[in-house]
Amino acid sequence: MSMPDLSLDNWMTQLRKGLLELAILNTITAAPLYGYDIVRRLSDVDHLVITEGTVYPILSRLKNSGLVETYIEESQEGPARKYYRLTTRGRDELRRMNQHWDSLHQAIGGLRKEGKR
Amino acid sequence: MIEMTPAAREQFENYLQRLRNELRGSRSVVADEVEQNVREHIDIALAHAQGPVGATEVIGVLDRLGPPERWLADEDQATTSRGFMDRFVSGPGDWLAYVSFAIFLLAAFFPAIGFFLLIPAMAVSRATVELAQDRGEPLGGRRWLVYPAIAVVLALTAALLILAPPLRIIAALGLDSGGVAEIFGVPENTPGHSRAVLGAGAMVFGSWWIIAAAFCAALLRPIRFVFAPLLEKLRRKHFVVMALFGALIAGGGATLIYFR
Repeated sequence: MSMPDLSLDNWMTQLRKGLLELAILNTITAAPLYGYDIVRRLSDVDHLVITEGTVYPILSRLKNSGLVETYIEESQEGPARKYYRLTTRGRDELRRMNQHWDSLHQAIGGLRKEGKR
Repeated sequence: MIEMTPAAREQFENYLQRLRNELRGSRSVVADEVEQNVREHIDIALAHAQGPVGATEVIGVLDRLGPPERWLADEDQATTSRGFMDRFVSGPGDWLAYVSFAIFLLAAFFPAIGFFLLIPAMAVSRATVELAQDRGEPLGGRRWLVYPAIAVVLALTAALLILAPPLRIIAALGLDSGGVAEIFGVPENTPGHSRAVLGAGAMVFGSWWIIAAAFCAALLRPIRFVFAPLLEKLRRKHFVVMALFGALIAGGGATLIYFR
């Protein structure tokens, strides 16, 4: 039986995987974005995206789940781009995910405070 | 799609192949969609490059995208570790070629309905070719599954075009029986009769081949499209050669009749 990898790297990888969906959905909350733009914005967040390509399967999964939808728009700067936007269901789901994240963040913060006492 | 050097194109195609291998079979991720996203990513990332993009630039972007083998979340990978059949039926680009070959084999084993089966086999083969072209991927080993149906339909069509009309004309004019005697005034069982029959036949075949060559030259693009990719190198000059050959045969036939 193999021992679970409890290294910091592995923990961060698992955390990152779990958070990417939330990060992607939040990225397109304000306005629709095309895939490359989403990748660029997420890459600017430290330690969130190590391999940029990871974003695309997640976008596909979010679309299959009905949380986001796509449309094609011509671009003056190059090829036509596929834009991603939240669906109504996606917006509701994101609100719940953000609430859950906030409460989790608070709870972890509380635990850390208790630990410092 | 941006222009790439052959080396860059090869790197990119290899990467896409790895992507397809990795993502196909995942129930939550659509491999074709991800592939399209990656193509768009490359196009945008290298849009400002001057001239054909080299392998170094493409590899730089692909390195940042990372190995596709590390893209999927654990739960996706669980569904990706699939059996042979899952991999086999992962996308039309794969199984259409097998369907085409299966119909082709049915046509070969059941000659009575073979002709009718060749048409769908040919259609599915062409669909496979188009799909591969749309995705910018080479047919690779699938050509052995796809080409037989197209090649057989092409051979049958060519044979029909080249042989059937002149044979019908020869039969209609009775050139294979007593027609030559009436038309050219050469009684049967005379020394010149067999040469006149041969000459008349050659004239009919040669003349028809000139007409057929002109007809095919006029319809060159539709012909190339229907039998793609086998006739991609077909040019009008090939039909000029066919017409010249027809003229040579017809001329030979006329000479035979003249000197019968």
